[in-house]
Amino acid sequence: MSASILTVDDSSSLRMAVRIALTGAGYTVTEAGDGMEGLTKAGAQRFDMIITDLNMPRMDGLTMIREIRKSGKQTGVPIIFLTTESDDGVKGQAKAAGATGWLVKPFNADQLVKIARKVLGR
Amino acid sequence: MSEDDPVAAFRVEAGELLDSIEAALLDLAGDSTNTGLVDEVFRGLHTLKGSGAMFGFEALARFTHHCETAFDRVRKGQAEASQALIGVVLSARDHMQALIDVGTQGDPMLEMAGEAILSSLEKAVANSEGMAVPRAIQTERKGWHISFKLPPGSMANGTNPLPLLDELRGLGDCRITPRLDEVPPLASLVPTECYIYWDIVIEGDVTCEDIEDVFIFVIDDMDLAITPLIEEPESDEPVEVLPVATVLAAPQPVAKAAPPAQESVRVAAERLDELMNRVGELVIAQSRLAQLATSSGPVNELTLRAVSEDIERLSAELRDTTMAMRMMPVGNLFGRFRRLVHDLARETGKTIELVTHGEATEVDKTVIERLADPMIHLIRNSCDHGLETADDRIAAGKPVSGSLTLSARQAGGEVLIAITDDGRGIDRERVRAKAEAQGLIQPGAVLGDGELFQMIFHPGFSTAAAITSLSGRGVGMDVVKRSIESLRGTIDITSTQGVGTTMTLHLPLTLAIIECMLVRVGEGRYAIPLSVVEECIELPAAEVTSTARRNFLDVRGELVPYLRLRDTFGTDYPADLFQKVVIVGQGRGRVGLVVDQIIGNTQTVIKSLSRFHAGQGSFSGATILGDGNVALILDVGNLIVAAQKNQRLLGERAGEVA
Amino acid sequence: MIVPERVLTFALDGEIFAIDAQAVREILEVPAITRVPGAPDFASGLINVRGAIVPLTDLAVAFGMVHADHGEDTRVIVIEAEVEGEPTTIGLVADKVLDVAAMEGVPVEEAPPVGMRWRADFIRAIARPQGQFVILPDLELIFAESLGMATRQERAA
Repeated sequence: MSASILTVDDSSSLRMAVRIALTGAGYTVTEAGDGMEGLTKAGAQRFDMIITDLNMPRMDGLTMIREIRKSGKQTGVPIIFLTTESDDGVKGQAKAAGATGWLVKPFNADQLVKIARKVLGR
Repeated sequence: MSEDDPVAAFRVEAGELLDSIEAALLDLAGDSTNTGLVDEVFRGLHTLKGSGAMFGFEALARFTHHCETAFDRVRKGQAEASQALIGVVLSARDHMQALIDVGTQGDPMLEMAGEAILSSLEKAVANSEGMAVPRAIQTERKGWHISFKLPPGSMANGTNPLPLLDELRGLGDCRITPRLDEVPPLASLVPTECYIYWDIVIEGDVTCEDIEDVFIFVIDDMDLAITPLIEEPESDEPVEVLPVATVLAAPQPVAKAAPPAQESVRVAAERLDELMNRVGELVIAQSRLAQLATSSGPVNELTLRAVSEDIERLSAELRDTTMAMRMMPVGNLFGRFRRLVHDLARETGKTIELVTHGEATEVDKTVIERLADPMIHLIRNSCDHGLETADDRIAAGKPVSGSLTLSARQAGGEVLIAITDDGRGIDRERVRAKAEAQGLIQPGAVLGDGELFQMIFHPGFSTAAAITSLSGRGVGMDVVKRSIESLRGTIDITSTQGVGTTMTLHLPLTLAIIECMLVRVGEGRYAIPLSVVEECIELPAAEVTSTARRNFLDVRGELVPYLRLRDTFGTDYPADLFQKVVIVGQGRGRVGLVVDQIIGNTQTVIKSLSRFHAGQGSFSGATILGDGNVALILDVGNLIVAAQKNQRLLGERAGEVA
Repeated sequence: MIVPERVLTFALDGEIFAIDAQAVREILEVPAITRVPGAPDFASGLINVRGAIVPLTDLAVAFGMVHADHGEDTRVIVIEAEVEGEPTTIGLVADKVLDVAAMEGVPVEEAPPVGMRWRADFIRAIARPQGQFVILPDLELIFAESLGMATRQERAA
């Protein structure tokens, strides 16, 4: 079975880009439009990986990561966040919240798939 | 767009990478110390290698790796971006293209050809500044000792050590030893913690950064020690240059090329967003309309009109956004010609400076693709025959270096692309002599330059070796003209002897949708591309009933031949009392088309004619009108030719009678 | 001789024709037809089928039959056919669409080379259900021939 990935982003085009890249590489992709929706979906089903933006309406990415980890529903599941700057402060905060790694925007499909392969090993 | 084919996407991306590598290399040829350009080439090669390996193009990744290494040395100041190196990497770039074309299964012959290029590469890098040969060192076995332990809690947060170990294995041969001495007794073991740590010996061509990259997400918090296995040899003393194999010519195109990638268009994300917004608005407008339709009682006319206007605006915007997705900057096209000019300069021994303007001008993707070949031909012509040799230029008091300018701009519904050289210009007397000898014009006929220069587009004319400034290679200028016309475009030539020549291509902005004038002839409605319509006049009463042999109209002193489309189309539906004449012009030709009625302007989506009708010369396509009926689109170029032929026949018959 | 499993039968100038039911996309009442000046009689017009521009052909012309005016029962059968190896959507005029029938158990014969008023090679087979005479035309050949004719006309012009 292909690995299932949840992508959380309020930009629909970015979600689409992520979906196209990942489904193209053989992954199954579920989409969520903000942190709240992401948290809901992460509470309902276990994913193999979660990719999330940080700046989102309703619930931001940091809060969502923290809540997902707190829920215990996705223990051990890699969470990759998307960030625009290679600012170490954000990275530290996100990792403290429970994120596994990051991908700096803008990124291309290769880089995204590479990250997925890296953390999933498949 | 094929969503599920990353290999196809890779091919597209690789093509773009190769283009930008080529562009940077060509820039570097004139600016060899520009570190930005060196970085650009390096980054391009690096990405190509990386994604090539990802999509199974292993031969490509291996080959590219050597070029990347060479440029890494340039980047670090250990080698020089010499003309020789740039030349080799340019041919390496062509080889990479061939490796991509041949596909993931590889081709042993091709890879052998690659070896020859690598030998020249070694030579080129070794020759510069007495620097050592990279391959000899790089392939020497070396390696690292790695010891790592994950930070506590990292496994719960998604870091899995197994992919990390796999990734290390991917870098080189690994001997992995797990250390278990920190694993606690079962009772106190937390299952989400990682108590194991590892010692690893990795051998191969791996850098410390490669290893650190594996641990990028946890490197700040973890215990990680990386120590070199053996000391790196100091490269102070030059290493002996490997014997250079005979350099093969650039690899031949591979016969067994992979099937052509599915056609896809790269779309900027913001244009997708824009499209999405419009669709969103359209959905809202549609639901308002549905509400109106199902509401009981009389519908408020104003509300209905408002919805209708909204939908009209949205569909116009949707059309524009969708069309915009097909648009590409001509810069992509111009970029391809830099290499051509570079090669032509080498071939001819001339110094040629390429100048480009208006690269941001956008043209339909299909136009760009179909423009490449005719433009190559025109550029070749200019470089081969338009521009003089250095000696001739000095003798003529011109700068030694010839200049070739490609420029693009938008003008109304057209895009104008001009190819200008500052060469010797077209010898109009020789063109005239040739045209007269071939019977294309009457001896002594008075012709303007524009008209005269059009003669070179006659089949069999431009290949004539006698007129060196015009002779082509293989295909004649008639083929160039035909391919431009197939894009509904035209070519203008202006030339001043001793000063230079400009060939201007007039092209439609887009192919799929055109603005048309809708006319009626008999029972049928026909569309005429608005871009060729010059004016509309009433058919003078004297001409309506005239069966005179001459079908000419006096349009403000100029005689314009005309065609009665009722006759051309053989309609027996009663004619309108007042016949209209639509004066259309394309290139040099101008003709009046007599119609029953002018209905008005309309936007039409061009559809190709069925195979049963594709041979009908009078029509270039068909379109569906607002009422759902099909209308034929007139092929004005062909009608002009028909009208001119008609006139000639009438003239001959008149001659016989006299 | 390959005979389709199911056929669509239709009437044309008093004869019954049958074509492979699998090739049929839809059956339309006669839409507005746009005449193409100078086109061969066999494919003299264009119709709009859901936004696609489709050539309208008339088998009566290919078989040299009397070409009836369009009446109340006239229909256009939209089919998908190979024309010189390319899948093409084509409209066929029928005086009346009759039936969709299974061909199992129906006696089928080769077209007799003589004794017919039509070109024998345009007929793939003759089916004889209950003594009737049903023509299975060789559409691919007919289309290819008429394309060839169109090309020749063009050259002659």
